[in-house]
Amino acid sequence: MSEHKPSAGDNDQAFYEKRAKVYPREVHGIFAHLRLLGVVVLLGIFYGAPWLTWGGRQAIWFDLPGRKFHILAWTFWPQDFFLLALLLIIAALSLFFFTALAGRLWCGYACPQTVWTEVFLWIEQRLEGDRARQMKLDKGPWTSRKLAIKGTKHTIWVLFSLFTGITFVGYFTPIVELMPRFFTLQTGGWENFWILFYGFATWGNAGFMREQVCIYMCPYARFQSAMFDKDTLVISYDPARGEPRGSRKRGVDPREKGLGDCIDCTLCVQVCPTGIDIRDGLQYQCIGCAACVDVCDEVMDKMEYPRGLVRYTTENAMEGKPAHVLRPRVILYGLLLLVLFAALAVGIGIRNPVGIDVIRDRNVLYRELPDGRVENVYILKLLNKADSVRDYRVEIRGLPGAELVIDRTMPVAVPAGGVVEIPARVRIDPALLDMPTAEVIFEARVEGLPDEGNERRGRFVGRMQ
Amino acid sequence: MSESVNVDERPLVQRAIAVLWPSFLVAGVATVLLFTWVDPAELSQCLDGMPAVTRMEAYSVGFFILWLFAATASALTCYFGRPPSR
Ligand code: SF4
Ligand code: SF4
Repeated sequence: MSEHKPSAGDNDQAFYEKRAKVYPREVHGIFAHLRLLGVVVLLGIFYGAPWLTWGGRQAIWFDLPGRKFHILAWTFWPQDFFLLALLLIIAALSLFFFTALAGRLWCGYACPQTVWTEVFLWIEQRLEGDRARQMKLDKGPWTSRKLAIKGTKHTIWVLFSLFTGITFVGYFTPIVELMPRFFTLQTGGWENFWILFYGFATWGNAGFMREQVCIYMCPYARFQSAMFDKDTLVISYDPARGEPRGSRKRGVDPREKGLGDCIDCTLCVQVCPTGIDIRDGLQYQCIGCAACVDVCDEVMDKMEYPRGLVRYTTENAMEGKPAHVLRPRVILYGLLLLVLFAALAVGIGIRNPVGIDVIRDRNVLYRELPDGRVENVYILKLLNKADSVRDYRVEIRGLPGAELVIDRTMPVAVPAGGVVEIPARVRIDPALLDMPTAEVIFEARVEGLPDEGNERRGRFVGRMQ
Repeated sequence: MSESVNVDERPLVQRAIAVLWPSFLVAGVATVLLFTWVDPAELSQCLDGMPAVTRMEAYSVGFFILWLFAATASALTCYFGRPPSR
């Protein structure tokens, strides 16, 4: 993207102090409806999802203290980390794919920054009125009316942010318990901390920083232009049609006055949440929200000109060249995505539901028994990633002559998505060791399912004779 | 644009955010990576003298320590990015 000097030069400098506040004007139109749909759906998912249950537990629950992630029927463990990594790569690549196709769709419709800002703007507009009133109110003296309006706005903002913070923490701590605990002041220190942290971030980002997050803080906004080409769908003003701009009365033929279709009403600037003028060309501050498209179409309708002076288009289309949807870049991203999706599906499909972890007891390196044998102590963690309870049996191999002693009756029942820790001891006659340390393999098998099992190596420390 | 701006001419808030924000992102990723491989509950079992902390405490404290390290690196970058005053 070319780096035009933004027209709103004041927006270009400094955080907070020097910048002029952007008062985006409310818009109506097809893209505003789409954006609203995005807000409702995404926030609906965000605020609703933690309340769903699945098989007696929260359906989406990132149980950090328990070190497992529950997503619907699945339970993921740290051992499944590569699946998470794969998922993140897929997410990033999808972003590339959609950016190459249609520009900053993400920014305009789905980014949490945009979505929450929309909500905060909506609240602001309900209380303070439209753009002109907001500006007047902000310029005016601190009357009791202004105080009341601002006070109400901030109270609602803060409550909403707080609710957002609780919901966020509700993904990590079961929300049905968290909510009542929070309101009766029984939440723990870290829970409170993260609720306030996330709430504060929501309040600050959506209430105050707004477009500055996109312009200064968002990494995606900085590199998205690398995914653009001349066939990427972007929002742009059609200068060939619009220029020379100028005001005129309705019904006057612009050609007679030597004018283009742009009536220079500056509405497109007024609606822009980042405070830029789309007529200056594509700018990196443009988040592709299409507010200017909606408002300009409205103006065009009023003037009885054809719509689309500001529209979704591609650089090639603007120059009258043929458009290509399927370009090497898009095909490459698409293919890569398919491969990764397949890998993810396979990864989830072949995931071993049996897990075993071996932890050596570090307090004692080894112990000598009265019968002359040496003993090592371990904690075995048996994981059951399946969704039903299973009986596990543990054996060792790889260390001939060694004996496994477990003070529990075998098999051990491991609950669905659960973990059972059992202390285990391995004993061997040191004469059988030819090295001070040896390797022993612990093997967990599921009763009645001969094909299901998993194994893990452990270290055996002995004293050589 | 901002690339051409002398680091020192930028207001303090902007510099503070330029240090804190990227390090926050990096610390977040690093925390996930670290605690996927290391279980703090096991760590406190294995290491002598490690205070018994809950996993949540360990995760949170770990995050802030990583943030501190990353922020230090960012701050040093900012510091050395200034033209030397001779
Ligand atoms: S809204 Fe349309 S007509 Fe009005 S100034 Fe913008 S481009 Fe011109
Ligand atoms: S220029 Fe138009 S599409 Fe871009 S951010 Fe402003 S209003 Fe949205």
